[in-house]
Amino acid sequence: MAAPRKLSMKQRYAALTRDLDWDLSYVDEDKAYPYTSFEGIKIHDWSKWEDPFRLTIDAYMKYQAEKDKRLYAVLDSFAQGQGHLQLTDPSYLNAMKLFLQGVTPLEYQAHRNFAYLARFLNGPGPRFAALCQSQDELRHAQTEIHTLSNYNKYYQGMHSWQHQHDRVWYLSVPKSYFDDAVTAGPFEFLIAIGFSFEYLLTNLLFVPFMSGASFNGDLPTMTFGFSAQSDESRHMTLGLEAIKFMLEQDPDNVPIVQAWIDKWFWRGYRLLALVSQMLDYMLPRKVMSWKEAFELYFEEQMLGGLFPDLAYYGIKPPRHVEHAIAEKEILSHQVYWTLYQFSFAAGFTTTVPSEDAQKWLAEQYPQTFERLYKPLWDKASAVVDDGGRYFYQGLPQLCQVCQVPMLFTEPGDPTTICQRHTEFEGERYDFCSDGCQWIFEREPEKYVQAWLPVHQIYQGNCGGPTVPDVLAWYKLQPGDNGEIAGNVEQTAWEAWHATSSAEEQAPAPVAGN
Amino acid sequence: MQYELRTQVIEPRRKTFTNLTERYGDRPATRYEEGSVDIQATANFHYRPLWDPSHEIYDPEYSALRLTDPYSFVDPRQFYYAPYVTARAHLHEAFAQTLAYLENRDLVERLPQGWKDLVAQAVIPLRHYESGGQLIGAYGCRFGYGTTITQCLSYASFDRVGNAQLLSRLGISLDGGSDGVLVSAKQAWMEDADLQPLRKFVELLLVEDDWAAQHVGLDLADQLLYGLLYTHLDETALLGGAGAYSLVAQHLSGWFTDNRRWVDALYAAWGRDPEHGAANKAELSALVARLLPGALEGALGVARIADRCLDAGAVAFVETRARALAAAFAPEES
Repeated sequence: MAAPRKLSMKQRYAALTRDLDWDLSYVDEDKAYPYTSFEGIKIHDWSKWEDPFRLTIDAYMKYQAEKDKRLYAVLDSFAQGQGHLQLTDPSYLNAMKLFLQGVTPLEYQAHRNFAYLARFLNGPGPRFAALCQSQDELRHAQTEIHTLSNYNKYYQGMHSWQHQHDRVWYLSVPKSYFDDAVTAGPFEFLIAIGFSFEYLLTNLLFVPFMSGASFNGDLPTMTFGFSAQSDESRHMTLGLEAIKFMLEQDPDNVPIVQAWIDKWFWRGYRLLALVSQMLDYMLPRKVMSWKEAFELYFEEQMLGGLFPDLAYYGIKPPRHVEHAIAEKEILSHQVYWTLYQFSFAAGFTTTVPSEDAQKWLAEQYPQTFERLYKPLWDKASAVVDDGGRYFYQGLPQLCQVCQVPMLFTEPGDPTTICQRHTEFEGERYDFCSDGCQWIFEREPEKYVQAWLPVHQIYQGNCGGPTVPDVLAWYKLQPGDNGEIAGNVEQTAWEAWHATSSAEEQAPAPVAGN
Repeated sequence: MQYELRTQVIEPRRKTFTNLTERYGDRPATRYEEGSVDIQATANFHYRPLWDPSHEIYDPEYSALRLTDPYSFVDPRQFYYAPYVTARAHLHEAFAQTLAYLENRDLVERLPQGWKDLVAQAVIPLRHYESGGQLIGAYGCRFGYGTTITQCLSYASFDRVGNAQLLSRLGISLDGGSDGVLVSAKQAWMEDADLQPLRKFVELLLVEDDWAAQHVGLDLADQLLYGLLYTHLDETALLGGAGAYSLVAQHLSGWFTDNRRWVDALYAAWGRDPEHGAANKAELSALVARLLPGALEGALGVARIADRCLDAGAVAFVETRARALAAAFAPEES
């Protein structure tokens, strides 16, 4: 048998992937790849893209099929064995409600827009890497839905996640974030999602949810987290390769990439405000404080590890990062205090932190908790003791860019609300921070388009003029929202546990409202 | 005999997510439904694409073919990610076994010369055609409307890379582990007069605006090429002492049959749509009338190569198949 110069592994991989591409001659390259020039990024040689991983389709299918087989086996056995009764407390699921309503739709959007890159990047190497990521992101969206589907059968707040993602006020924070990324050009998307979301901030976004799951008896979500890990590490290497590739192709790319890092750091950081309160307040059994997570995953790993490497290319740490660092002592407290007051209109529930939880918060935040936030909870407790529950009457003003309620405070002054505003074409726009104002002023034509939920409610576009009208439009059901104590979930939980410890084997009652 | 385990019975509060109960009534949903139906956002987009401000992020107007309810189409294969990758893992494993069998017995090497020529000159160059299909699927995945449709297009895109890799492996095998055949096949794809019409057809499809036009155009070429290479010639191979060709062809014709299931279901959904059905049928007829000549010209080039290698009635087969396609999509008499 003839055996001339057999292909090396690397040659074989190239033959099976990028060599499939050819130089178009019946249509202009600019017409076939029309979106890679308007952003100003200059690419001289697409073949310089280093494949961040080498996977042929047969290997991909085999690994992924095996991983899914294991994951779905866990989901099935958890469902069959009523594993949800092993949670630390049903209120833990508030974290997962936020995840399903807020994060799963982003995975789905990533799936669709990585397909856009898989079509429109000029080089076959990055196109194939993007296509793999597009598939993975669909996997993540679907495995998250299937992981949480079992909880949806017994608990509130998950039944209408996609409907709510497109409508509910706090969910416009993640939705507008990702809408911003997919409406940008392909290179900005690579920096926004490939680099900033999947690399720079991924440990701050995913690890808290997955660790929270493992600390609180949520075996399916923890299994999902492990199952997604090898995909995520491919996505991280893609993000890193993308930024290196752009920076190495032309020095003129550096200031453009820097501005995108500045924008997407702050955009992502504001999105993480929701994660910060989840870590510090929503988890019954704590994993680590937001402050600790921020110090480890961002200050140490990114500012201390990544950015010194990027300095070689002339990239500096993101603009406004000092404000994020200064906020680490106050962020989660300000956010949860706001959510506490507005949870009557949310797909999750809130409560005054228990005595133990407040003790933990005081230990984690010695500079701020007892001085600034405990007094607020004391007041809220007093209302509860009198048989009431404090909810804010009215609707919050939202930042035009990040769409978080205007709750953040002036740098260096945790008691004065920070308000910035800019006039554009005769209209006034308000911002929560210097970071958001800076983002607006770069692209005002984009951000004036924002679908701000509170404005929309006032304009009558959200089901009607009253709060019950709006909540019905959100498809909120009793027990989805408001106070944890006395909620249908808590009552049902107590009944299920009373039954399981009793001798009798009669079916447990279905919790009513 | 059965034994009975005592388990705690808790009546669930609901059987599935609200959108599915609203659509299908109060019944448990499948994982396909939970992971596919109503997943794509449809409302309250914040910004318009910088690169196309005339459209929303997801916009039915990216195509002339519309569904009143995009979820009136569901994949008959019920493929969400897990069953999809499982099915394709089996496909690739089975192909690898076939290839190993052929290599162990030198069966590729022992193919009659005409068949070797056919594989090298007509089949292997189509790995580039498959690669064009990859781009078309990715385009549809981004711009289609509704997850049940875009999900199929996404898998189809990935399948095309897979098919291209199957063909590439065959090419490497034909050259005893090296890439000589791949190199000459690529040169043929770029220069051979009989392959230029097909390459031109694919390149022109890539710049069609409407994702459905790209998809339909590719399907027309598929029906001619897969029909020719993996069905018609498969039978010829069995009669002509080229069993090894048939062993390879079964995997591609198997894929094609599987792919047809959702493609045909989508044509049917377009046609029966209560609001857009008539317009869809007219649009499909117009698309086929416009795109079939190019697809035919492309496939005829491949058929000419096949007839040169084997004299297998390839040109006649393609012409007959094209007439059948033209008739199937002809405008309805009014």
